[in-house]
Amino acid sequence: MGLAGFEVEVEREGTQGLETEEMTLNMGPQHPSTHGVLRFVVKADGEVMRQAIPDIGYLHRSIEKISEKVGYHGFMPYTDRVDYVAAMFCNQGWGMACEKLANIEVPKRGEYCRVIASELNRIASHLLSVGTMILDIGATTPFFHAIREREKINDLLEELCGARLTYNYMRIGGVAWDLPPGFVERSIDFLDNFELAAREFEDLITYNKIYVERLIDVCPISAEKAINYNLTGPNLRASGVSYDVRRDDPYSIYRELDFQVPVGKGELGTVGDCFDRYIVRIREMNESVKILRQCFAQIPPGPVIAKVPRKFKPPAGDVFIRVESARGDMGWYVVSDGSEFPYRVKIRTGSFAAMSIIDAISSGIMLADLVAVIASLDIVAPEVDR
Amino acid sequence: MRKKTSYLRNIIDTCTTIFEGMAVTFSHFVRKPTTIQYPDRMPVRVQDSLPFRYRGILEVDLEICTGCLACERACPIDCIVIDVKKDKDAGGMVMTRFDIDMAKCMYCGLCSEPCPTGSIHHTPEFEGADYSLESLIRRFIKDPVVAYKPKKTGETDPEIIPILERGNIYVEEFATPESNKPVGGDKPDPKAEAA
Amino acid sequence: MQQYLDSLIAGGYFAGLPTEVVYLLGMLAVGAVVVFVFILNVAGATTFVERRVWARIHNRVGPNRVGPQGILQWLVDGVKLVMKEDIVPADADPWLFRLAPYIVIMGFVAAFAAIPFGSRLVAADMNLGLLYILTVTSLVVVGILVAGWASNNKWSLIGGIRAAAQIVSYEIPAGLSIMPVVLLTGSLNMNEIIRYQGWMPQDWLLFANPFTFVAFFTFFTAALAEGNRTPFDLPEAESELVAGFVTEYSGVRYLIFFMVEWGNLYIIGALATTLFLGGWHIPPITDNVVLQTILEFVVFFAKSYFWVLVAMWIRATLPRVRVDQLMSICWKYLVPITFANVLLVALWMLLVTPGGFVSRAVAYAMTLLGTVLVLYFFRRVLFHLRRARVRERNQLVLSPLS
Repeated sequence: MGLAGFEVEVEREGTQGLETEEMTLNMGPQHPSTHGVLRFVVKADGEVMRQAIPDIGYLHRSIEKISEKVGYHGFMPYTDRVDYVAAMFCNQGWGMACEKLANIEVPKRGEYCRVIASELNRIASHLLSVGTMILDIGATTPFFHAIREREKINDLLEELCGARLTYNYMRIGGVAWDLPPGFVERSIDFLDNFELAAREFEDLITYNKIYVERLIDVCPISAEKAINYNLTGPNLRASGVSYDVRRDDPYSIYRELDFQVPVGKGELGTVGDCFDRYIVRIREMNESVKILRQCFAQIPPGPVIAKVPRKFKPPAGDVFIRVESARGDMGWYVVSDGSEFPYRVKIRTGSFAAMSIIDAISSGIMLADLVAVIASLDIVAPEVDR
Repeated sequence: MRKKTSYLRNIIDTCTTIFEGMAVTFSHFVRKPTTIQYPDRMPVRVQDSLPFRYRGILEVDLEICTGCLACERACPIDCIVIDVKKDKDAGGMVMTRFDIDMAKCMYCGLCSEPCPTGSIHHTPEFEGADYSLESLIRRFIKDPVVAYKPKKTGETDPEIIPILERGNIYVEEFATPESNKPVGGDKPDPKAEAA
Repeated sequence: MQQYLDSLIAGGYFAGLPTEVVYLLGMLAVGAVVVFVFILNVAGATTFVERRVWARIHNRVGPNRVGPQGILQWLVDGVKLVMKEDIVPADADPWLFRLAPYIVIMGFVAAFAAIPFGSRLVAADMNLGLLYILTVTSLVVVGILVAGWASNNKWSLIGGIRAAAQIVSYEIPAGLSIMPVVLLTGSLNMNEIIRYQGWMPQDWLLFANPFTFVAFFTFFTAALAEGNRTPFDLPEAESELVAGFVTEYSGVRYLIFFMVEWGNLYIIGALATTLFLGGWHIPPITDNVVLQTILEFVVFFAKSYFWVLVAMWIRATLPRVRVDQLMSICWKYLVPITFANVLLVALWMLLVTPGGFVSRAVAYAMTLLGTVLVLYFFRRVLFHLRRARVRERNQLVLSPLS
């Protein structure tokens, strides 16, 4: 079965004369419900799982190494590909890292544009994550409704920066383009419709008995375990830990914005189960809508990008930047040696930690639950492998 | 701990939530679908309805290309290859090759930013699928072309003026400020170029 | 049917053959016509209808290019599947792998012998018609298990075993839900059951008393589980097991499995109509036998197909239940409820005279309840439409074609 590197242990238990054997299954790189190319070697006893060993690396593209060849300006489009579902956050992380290295200040309007683009992207990313989670559980309709809303966001972002998935919108020192005429009206129109669609979503699926029964009490992750395993973002907040980089370690203009941080409370099951992770994302989308409305109301006029030389040579040193991406706390560690090309770039993504916790929590659950757990942890393969 | 729901509560919850869910789905059944039936059942061609900033397939207006190689330097994936050399007989820089490999291009837009005249720009064209990899390399030069020299006093050639104006629109939209100025005004700031 | 053949024998057409053989040949002929002309087309067209219905629920357009409004899509898909390469996995059991689709389609097609399409349109008017249908549709389990095992694929095996557990468990609530009907009508003959009912809603067995009302819903749920439809479609759960027990099947064999699934929906609808909704009864508007038969057929088909559409609608709305939840729904909820139902209907029959004042009053009351539920449903639909501002944005399209 091609399990290179893994030892296959065949355990024979004799229970009352009936010999049972543990089955080793391969939830291979091509599978309708692993989000991207991920592979799990699953050891199952009938329907009940004993272990799920993750096997990553199918989507490794050496992005961090490529940065050493293309330089600071040229690396911006590559950061889109680190997490293509929520690309604005990666852009922002890289931009902030280079700005901190070279002590560049982004103009106010540029920061507002960054936050507007990021929060729109957060809604889009959560819609995709929630939609695919529902699709994996079995309901096909809410997925299409989520994608319909996401397409409207993609239309807005296409107007803003010219692309629908790999935006390359931000530059070192700000953003590339200002908001086009009519963008604010169209966005507010979208936000009004989105709130209606979100309420319909709730009526359709969120409290549906079958859906709730599939998700509550499945793999509850306690707050202590979540912190030990390095979970961040909505996964951590669902376990009851109220920590959000935007509020607790604020960057950009998040100090001036007023928003709540939704935390999982175990309202229908245990704190930190799959349902909590789902409902935290739904609530975060509503919070992003609030943030966007504030940004559109408060955005000041002015330039959107600072003056940055074409040959960007920051002084030698290193910097660590944290951005609250849709999947958690995305860390950017950039080491510069004073030349045009970075010496080392290291990206720390939320999905990588989430992959590591799957093995620890997946014993005793059923095969169908494994799919629900992977989906609720919102793992995207490009972030895991970079 | 899981809250114990009573037997009857479970049955009632199931029935009511399924009822509500079916009402929502039925309400969607009687709505107009949001599908855009590309490419034949559309009121307007998709390419004409895309926003101006859409980053489609690259296009080069060779009449106003100055041969400055800024786009080749800016490209992060080295998909633009330009051969330029000084030729006294033709009077200026002569370009013998301008190839953009669209198979490598990542449509990032970094090349259209530093262009001083706006000759390299993205078009709203996106239907570029073809049967062979070689046909994806767009070769813009057949015979050697003299590079364009922007005139300080403004352009006088009536054929080039409309192309220059269109290029200026691109420069104003896409160029990062302070590093490029529209052509027809002063020369590009040499300090900004060398920094 | 039998009288027609008798008249033909008397007319000397089948000289020499014993009557049993003539009956057999007649049944085979009718069976062939029913199967190849009617059922396969209905099953195929149902795939197309399902895709269009789903698409509208998803706010998109389904296949609409092949033929006017996409009507020929299912034919083209069928032809494509027939033209595919015949793949048998190298380590699969060669005989069982090829045998499984035949077992499945045998179980499916044989059930149509007893379905009453009209008062004179039953292929085999058996006194045990209902029991026969329930029994024969259980052959499908054997086919699915064989398919799962013979594929030599662990995922298929899991799918096959889940299917076997599911279908066998849900036979019990299905059978118990049918018991109230059998008790009230006193017969297992399909046409008899229909004759007990009438064409007006209050004469239907659905509204006869609250216990048959509950029995209908439990029957529909159990029958959906028998047919491997969401919310009980674990054996073919796409997102978990690639395609469950049909993973290794391609081409015609795949076509057979899926035709059986969609045709099964029709059997479920036909059973629901026969037992609870008055079957082929039409208002007494004509005396012409041919016209009556045609109208009866149309009414029966429409009523059964309505339940097929409802099953598709439920599939679009609900997520999947997990295997252990499936078993607990069956054994902890459906079996006690259906069992209690049977006892209560027996009690009802002891206390209430059929046709008397109490039974008529209860029938009218239940019809009223049913109407109120339907009206409340449309009220909720209007609420959702109003909240999504559908009228203002010109998005209301009542025709199913787009």
